Amino acid sequence: MTGFEAAGRHVPGSGWLVGIDTATRRAAIAIGTGRGTPRAWRSWEAGYRHGEELLAVLDELMREAGIGLSDVGAIVSGIGPGAFTGLRVGLATAKGLAYGLHVPLVGIASTRGLALAALASGTLPGDAGSPARHAPAWDSREGPATVAVAMPAGPHDRYLARYRVTSGAGDIGRRGAPGRGDVGRRGEAARDARGPQGGEGRALELEPIDDPVLVPGGEAIEPLLEDATLVAVDLAGRPGVSDDALVLGRAAQEGLGAALLAAGREALDRGDVDDVAALVPAYVTLPRGITAQTGTIEWSRDLR
Amino acid sequence: MTASGIVLAVETSCDETAVAVVEHGRRIRASVVASQVAMHAATGGIVPEVAARAHLRWIVPVFEEARAGAGIDDWSEIESVAVTYGPGLAGSLLVGINFAKTLAYVHGRPLVPVNHLEGHIYAAWLLDRDEPERPAPPFPLIALVVSGGHTFLVEMRDHLDYRFLGQTVDDAAGEAFDKVGRLLGLPYPGGPAIMKAAAGAVDHDVEFPRAWMGDSYDFSFSGLKTAARRAIEARGGTDALAPDLVAELAYGFQESVVDVLATKTGLAAERTGARAIILGGGVAANAVLRDRVAERAANLGIPLIVPRPALCTDNAAMIGAAGFFRTRAGTRASLDLDARPSLPLVG
Ligand SMILES: [Zn+2]
Repeated sequence: MTGFEAAGRHVPGSGWLVGIDTATRRAAIAIGTGRGTPRAWRSWEAGYRHGEELLAVLDELMREAGIGLSDVGAIVSGIGPGAFTGLRVGLATAKGLAYGLHVPLVGIASTRGLALAALASGTLPGDAGSPARHAPAWDSREGPATVAVAMPAGPHDRYLARYRVTSGAGDIGRRGAPGRGDVGRRGEAARDARGPQGGEGRALELEPIDDPVLVPGGEAIEPLLEDATLVAVDLAGRPGVSDDALVLGRAAQEGLGAALLAAGREALDRGDVDDVAALVPAYVTLPRGITAQTGTIEWSRDLR
Repeated sequence: MTASGIVLAVETSCDETAVAVVEHGRRIRASVVASQVAMHAATGGIVPEVAARAHLRWIVPVFEEARAGAGIDDWSEIESVAVTYGPGLAGSLLVGINFAKTLAYVHGRPLVPVNHLEGHIYAAWLLDRDEPERPAPPFPLIALVVSGGHTFLVEMRDHLDYRFLGQTVDDAAGEAFDKVGRLLGLPYPGGPAIMKAAAGAVDHDVEFPRAWMGDSYDFSFSGLKTAARRAIEARGGTDALAPDLVAELAYGFQESVVDVLATKTGLAAERTGARAIILGGGVAANAVLRDRVAERAANLGIPLIVPRPALCTDNAAMIGAAGFFRTRAGTRASLDLDARPSLPLVG
């Protein structure tokens, strides 16, 4: 892996994927094929230390998985919305990996990844006392359901993204879905597992109901939910968030790495790849004090 | 590990996204800077969040262009990856650090952390692509770095060996130029605007105070800024100033800043037996400052080395120059390298 040859040697469906998310206080990395349980994964409380920990943890996981950098076929990165500092670290790292390894980069909305992970986790038996065990059951047999992911946008505001479950809902929870119980377990059994989309090959798909919105601190989330089940991430101690929603949020963070890999694999199979240069976080809002995105960039090649 | 002497450098400490390829700490193979000046002109200052977002958008194209411009086709040609890790804006630094860190990791190259301030000093070592060889700056030397964020004087007795002499106790010189420029109704950034206005001054009667700070090498510009505001208010405020009065006030202000900077730099060079003076930082592009320090250097019989303006302002070539000497001195960062927004030059 020394050359600068152009990207494009990736063949959809082959190679290992590296999934990274840094939008929440818990960072997530997973290494796997996107089908079945990841070969290695970790979800940890990074707080504001993403910059120090992300690449070091990735290196550990690569060793743990026994996978070399040259085996990596694509990078899947959560793009938020979420904490700006974390997202900058995550995306700068994801871009460095994709650009450096000449492999495709796929950006997945972190809220989408969290919604997928929450759906997968809520129906699993889980270990005794695990968050998944106490999560409200996701009864998908009653037709299309909706799920909403909320997470902090600074100390008071929140991001809210709503999704409609469009297919595969009936399969969720039957078997094979990784959750707290089996995500991260490695070996033959893990490699044979069928993945978050469930046992019968019908993929779990989510369709965004609208773009993620910013809900100001003084405004309640509940009226915006309509019938959606709330997945509350990093919102403990904030008003108007039920315990069930918090438990689901915590479970979603735990399964986020696996969910990103699965979503990334689907995107790759569709040929849906992002431009490594142009991919930026989903910021939702303009920088404070800025009312419009104006201005240009002046380039100096300075090759004299 | 290759000893090619070729350093790939990344700099994103403020609002320029910059990548360069530098050979042996001197010869620039490529230096690309994507600058957000036009974005910030409207707000009259840097908005950190705007800067950080732009870095993430432009880091890959800037890197790719520097690589291609330098004709680097294979990482085996690269000895190390140098990156600015402070001081600067946290959100901006993080983008360059994590991008550079990841490339160093992916390609198995040493990651070399560089102090942005040291980069400004090492800009004096740089040679353009086709520039004839010239001797490296001789030690001991005195370096004055003046920019929108920094104003300090340092003595160097050898590579990477700094003795801090003094710094601003309040505003950086460039910051004072920006603030007074605004008071005078001049466009942002204030430095070039004030220099241009001052050059057109017909009368030179307005005098502003100089903060000598005793016998120290420290600087202070906040008193001067207040004096300028009072002078402008006494003449009816920003909107009431006729162009010739703006020019005269700009001249008086610039004289005060330049006089203090040049006098202290000359004094430091004389007292330490310096064999050269280096000027760096964005304000070093000010021709009046350059001329005034040049006079001092000439009186001492030593050379003044001022990089051309594009190398005085933030760029990655200067990080590549410092990064080469750091690489050879064995300075290394591990994968947990983080931003140090208030990193000092020494300590
Ligand atoms: Zn600078």
